[in-house]
Amino acid sequence: MLGRGLIFILLFFMIISSHAQTCELTILGKVVDQHNQKPIEFASVYVKELVKGTISDSLGNFKIKGLCAGDYHLVVSHIGCETQNVYFHLAADTVWTIYVEHSSQLLNEVTVQEHVQESQSQEVEVIGSKEMNQQLSKSLGQTLESISGVSAIKNGNGVAKPVVHGLYGNRLTILNNGIAQSGQQWGIDHAPEIDPLLANKITVVKGVGAIEFMGNSLGSVILVEPKKIEKDPHLHGKARYFFNSNGLGNGINVELQQHHKWLAWKVNGTLKKSGDAHTPDYFLTNTGIEEYNFSAELEKQITTKWSADVYYSSFNTQIGILRGSHVGNLTDLQAAFESEEPFFTQSDFSYDINNPRQEVNHHLLKVSSKYLLSEQAWVEVVYAKQINNRKEFDIRRGGRDDKPALSLEQESDFFETKFHYYFKNEWHLKTGIQLNRVNNVNVPETGILPLIPNYLTEERGTFLIIAKSYHKLNLEFGARVEEEARKVASISNTVPRELLFFDNNYLNYTASAGIQYARNEHFSMNYNVGLATRNPEVNELYSNGLHQGVSGIEEGDVNLNSEKAIKNTLSFAAKTKDKFFAEVLLYHQYIQDYIYLQAQDDFRLTIRGAFPVFKYEQTDAQIYGLDFVTKYQINEKWLTELNYSFIRGNEIENGISLINLPSNSIVSATSLQLPQFKSLKNVELQMLHRYVFEQRNITENQDFVAPPKGYYLLGFRASAERQFKSIRVEGHLGVENTLNATYRDYLNRQRYFADELGRNFTVGLVVKF
Amino acid sequence: MKSKLLYVFIAMALFACKDDEGDKPVTPEIPNEEEVITTVRYTLTPSTGGTAKVFQFQDLDGDGGNAPIISGDTLDLNVTYTGSIEFLNELESPADDITEEVLAEGDEHQVFYQVTSGDFVITYTDQDSNGNPIGLTTTFESKTMGGNLKVVLRHEPVKGAVGVSGGDITNAGGETDIEVVFPVNVR
Repeated sequence: MLGRGLIFILLFFMIISSHAQTCELTILGKVVDQHNQKPIEFASVYVKELVKGTISDSLGNFKIKGLCAGDYHLVVSHIGCETQNVYFHLAADTVWTIYVEHSSQLLNEVTVQEHVQESQSQEVEVIGSKEMNQQLSKSLGQTLESISGVSAIKNGNGVAKPVVHGLYGNRLTILNNGIAQSGQQWGIDHAPEIDPLLANKITVVKGVGAIEFMGNSLGSVILVEPKKIEKDPHLHGKARYFFNSNGLGNGINVELQQHHKWLAWKVNGTLKKSGDAHTPDYFLTNTGIEEYNFSAELEKQITTKWSADVYYSSFNTQIGILRGSHVGNLTDLQAAFESEEPFFTQSDFSYDINNPRQEVNHHLLKVSSKYLLSEQAWVEVVYAKQINNRKEFDIRRGGRDDKPALSLEQESDFFETKFHYYFKNEWHLKTGIQLNRVNNVNVPETGILPLIPNYLTEERGTFLIIAKSYHKLNLEFGARVEEEARKVASISNTVPRELLFFDNNYLNYTASAGIQYARNEHFSMNYNVGLATRNPEVNELYSNGLHQGVSGIEEGDVNLNSEKAIKNTLSFAAKTKDKFFAEVLLYHQYIQDYIYLQAQDDFRLTIRGAFPVFKYEQTDAQIYGLDFVTKYQINEKWLTELNYSFIRGNEIENGISLINLPSNSIVSATSLQLPQFKSLKNVELQMLHRYVFEQRNITENQDFVAPPKGYYLLGFRASAERQFKSIRVEGHLGVENTLNATYRDYLNRQRYFADELGRNFTVGLVVKF
Repeated sequence: MKSKLLYVFIAMALFACKDDEGDKPVTPEIPNEEEVITTVRYTLTPSTGGTAKVFQFQDLDGDGGNAPIISGDTLDLNVTYTGSIEFLNELESPADDITEEVLAEGDEHQVFYQVTSGDFVITYTDQDSNGNPIGLTTTFESKTMGGNLKVVLRHEPVKGAVGVSGGDITNAGGETDIEVVFPVNVR
């Protein structure tokens, strides 16, 4: 959303004369906007080897004289974009044209991607490295919240699950480096096991974008992608550090890479630790987080036509869950609502993580190979393995605190072959087949009847996407069919306990068609319609028993049908003379047989007291809304932005609102941008306002307690860069919840027990070499 | 080169398809549910001698499945009884006595006796290592013609909070492990 910038450089150079070895070589260059070819003023161009640089003039031109022949690293930066390094070998006088794609100048949509990875008619939003550097401490779910139309469903500060246009969990596909994340997505308190710092770019496709990908999402797709290894033969890297005053969080991330002649490699590692967070009034006891992540990538160009890539990533976390949010029955829950501060609140800060807590490990190995058949066609083969371990520890009796109350291990194997073909007359075809196998096992160490059964799923899918550019139009059509066979082995909840076996077979299909019309540089529109189905998940079919976390008894229904959805998205983007940009996205999704938890009239008596009963039921439902983004460049220095998102959803038959939909919100930002201030570059000061409306559509009997009031948050951010010889340092300072407001958020389950975080000062430091 | 590539594709396809674990999910192991409490039994023995009165809540299949069975008993008016409470896990055979676990972690547990209707006086007669009541043993005086008694077992209550050691649950906090209501008849 804010300052989301991607700088994306294409280089063309031309040799004018040759007098090497004399150290009198010159680079003449021009920096232009890739979109409208307009010159970009105040771009900073720095040559590391010379320890000197220059700034482009009003015509975008720059000149660097007195260079010897040899290898150089050029650092190109512009306000609102992430700084990029360019490596080149200089042998003669050279003229450069540097094309910069940078979006903070009022261009915020589509076409940031290199190939037609995602459809062009889809609404796409991107978070680039620059913005990620401004929020180093955030989890994936929290990082994505800055996009209009995207929110996060949370359980406290440590667990955030992204929600796009009201859908999350099994209805939303998250792709980690092109592979659908495979884990316990059904749980509302299970965050995606991905470290955003291992990625350089996060993309949200808001339409029905899952055509190309396995997984039965009903709509949007989130792509988390690391950048390709830079084509530079020297060792480069960056180190990032952050500090959060609230929770005394510290974290460090280091990335190293080198494009060796015979092998390119990249490694990345993250360490994070934070303790108890603080509301304006009290500590949130037991909300510490520890995380250590690692990734490594090898890339090999075997022949000019054949390349191979190996990627491994490991995500490991331990998350404390607010001690006061652990309740035994409805009486406890009622007492928690009425209490001024959560039970078990300690008066001192601590880094300790005690029960209740979650321990999660996720490993991904991806091996891929690409072969160019011709200039227009290539095939790609991918194999991926994921291992997901989740252990949840509860408050238990009789010294059983070290035994997890939930222990699940999931292994998945994925294989795909894709074929791309570009026809001469702007036709583009993409097709492929995919196989996936998921083996989900309860590790028998809990001494508790498992919440979800063991199962083995085998999926086979195939897809076809055809795109065509025609004058100002981009047309696209895609379809996907997927067969799923699932075998389930569960344990009865009657005594004597016995084993029950079930077989589920489903056929899922997805189709999407879209059109993009770019009338001129001032106006464009996108329309996309998508049809998708999603089969019921194991928890929806076989849950049975007390879900203590939600103080209710959940009952699955083995007769549930697949959900079928149609989503329409329509967006208009307009911009005037680089001054004003506005975009509105309207969406409507109709879901037939929407699966949801319906509160039943009766209470069930257990030894812990009476509990409400919730059953998985189906109804026809709709979700609709709009995302509105506008930016106004007041003058060269001042930029202002305003985002608004509105969402509503209900059951069609009786108009009852769907639960767990985000509240409407308005976000605004005002930025002062200075390309150069004394020895600092790209200085940016920002003031952020966020207002979240009260969720008024939920009726009394839909929740244990009414949704919280609306709230306003004020934030500030400052960032600047400085070049020291061959090292570039980027600094970020920020304040969140500056007014120390006391508030609760509807999508945070912790709202039953505690307030949200109070004021937080953040520091971020990025060192690149 | 192309043929070499083809071999790689085939090898990978075979690798992805091979069924090394068979085509069945892992057979679940039926857990030893040793933590479950299926039965609460409150036994009142008259101080004057005579047969003990038994109040029992029994839910043999745990939280789901069949409804629990609650059985009460009839007391004599104005008699003092010695009360003892037992928690059992009858999923195990022989039944597991959870009372021992509660006693062993006496400082982390407390049983509360709430008279929701009627007039009964219940007094703690036991202590944990800190001198606070646990509530496994009590005295019970019947002063009315009948009523209801709610028995609550709390894990990790704040025993030092106002009124808690006297049996008032209001400020106790902690988590409820048991909450059952017994009808009490008095003649």
